[in-house]
Amino acid sequence: MKGGVTNQAVTVADGLALSGVYHGFDDTDVLTDVSLAVGREEVLAIIGPSGTGKTTLLGLLSLFDDPDEGTVEFGGEDVWSLSERERLNVRRQIGMVFQEPHLFDGSVRRNVRYPLDIRRPWADRIRNWLPRFGHRSANPVVTEQLELVGLDDAASRHVSSLSGGEAQRVAFARALSYDPEFLLLDEPTSDLDPRNTAVIEDAIETARSRGVGVVIATHDMHQAERVADRTAVMLDGSIIEHGPTQQVFDDPTDRRARKFIDGELIY
Amino acid sequence: MIGSGIPTTACTGLCGPLFVEFPYGYEGILNIIYVSLYVSLTAVALSTVFSITVAVLVGFNDFPGRGFVIALINTGMGLPSVVVGLVVLFAVSNQGPLGQAGFHLVFTREAMIMSQFVLATPVITGISLAAVTGVDDGIRDAAHAMGGRRLDVALVTIREARYGILTGVLAGLGRAISEVGSVLIVGGNIEGQTRTLTTAIQLEARQGRFELALVLGVVLVALVLLINGLLLKLGDRQIR
Repeated sequence: MKGGVTNQAVTVADGLALSGVYHGFDDTDVLTDVSLAVGREEVLAIIGPSGTGKTTLLGLLSLFDDPDEGTVEFGGEDVWSLSERERLNVRRQIGMVFQEPHLFDGSVRRNVRYPLDIRRPWADRIRNWLPRFGHRSANPVVTEQLELVGLDDAASRHVSSLSGGEAQRVAFARALSYDPEFLLLDEPTSDLDPRNTAVIEDAIETARSRGVGVVIATHDMHQAERVADRTAVMLDGSIIEHGPTQQVFDDPTDRRARKFIDGELIY
Repeated sequence: MIGSGIPTTACTGLCGPLFVEFPYGYEGILNIIYVSLYVSLTAVALSTVFSITVAVLVGFNDFPGRGFVIALINTGMGLPSVVVGLVVLFAVSNQGPLGQAGFHLVFTREAMIMSQFVLATPVITGISLAAVTGVDDGIRDAAHAMGGRRLDVALVTIREARYGILTGVLAGLGRAISEVGSVLIVGGNIEGQTRTLTTAIQLEARQGRFELALVLGVVLVALVLLINGLLLKLGDRQIR
């Protein structure tokens, strides 16, 4: 293998994995020989300086892009060798929260309900658009997810009335509403105050306890220590350190990873 | 002075709600309003479906000639209506492709709809294109990340861009309903069949019946106001 660390965890049978992945844009390599896997009911943190490829890595795991080389695997199958319909089924088992909430114009309820709506047959969806038949009543799934992020009384509010932290919590509830097997979080708390950060971290823990596999990309090393079972350190598009979180923070084997964790590697 | 010495139709008695005697009676004016609305709303409705589809396809796909297509749309916004009328008249005439294919569309409402469709489409498409490409990429990414198919992502984008699209539809409707050159050419201004408010105004003004022309003008403006108000109300509905 060129660069990066060999990743034993890539063999997780029911997991979501990248194997030997190279990926770039406009002739520039962003990811170089990345192998990484997350299983159910665990939290994997990806830490590293800004611009090191964390978002690109999550983009591949969420099937936004297919890698230039290597494979993305779900339950041991190469996702990009599947038919489009089969790949859609895989996508629908992966949730994602971005750095920005990216909420749709409308109520909180509409946002959290959206993933459930698009999974319904077209006849149901069209009927729901008609005001006379529309579902205005509380949906138990929506209520449950909003309770998880402490916003159960906000279902009827328009998203424009939410604070940044509340909006991100709604985005989290929306990503969990369809009960995904894996949840990908791209710097989900980087713009949030400590209280909202704590709510999101509690929700991550709850998701894990429900069996969800979580990948969180963050430049906040303390957050990785708080929430992650395993941590991977990324630098210049490669995984340079990977293992149980305490081991990575207490005794990193890679010299650059040690420097980054000690705060000496400034980008 | 224009019109001096020409008898007018100013009402001297009880002449009905518009205070003017119409040479073709109130049934006639109702028919003119009906034809105007039928032709313009049909053309704009068809154009809206077509334009939004084109705007989404052009907005979110990269293909050879995309820049040319956008330039074509923008150029189309300034198409002279008389030229459009001429081209449509040729197309539906016996020498044109539709005439030779057996369609008898000269001086019909359908031909007027065709010409208004051609006039309204670049306006609605151009403004809709700007609206959909202005939607934050993150919104589309979010819809995709939650398991949306291409159609789901497109629908979310259209919904987010609805105010801009509505502006395009209103601009297209304004272009269509206020248009006189092409509908005169392809419709022929036949009383009871293809006479619209604009062609009736033009006719009455040429005959010096200014009061009548002005009242028809007021009716036209009131209709446009009413339709704009209804569409804005519809677009402003709170999304649940």
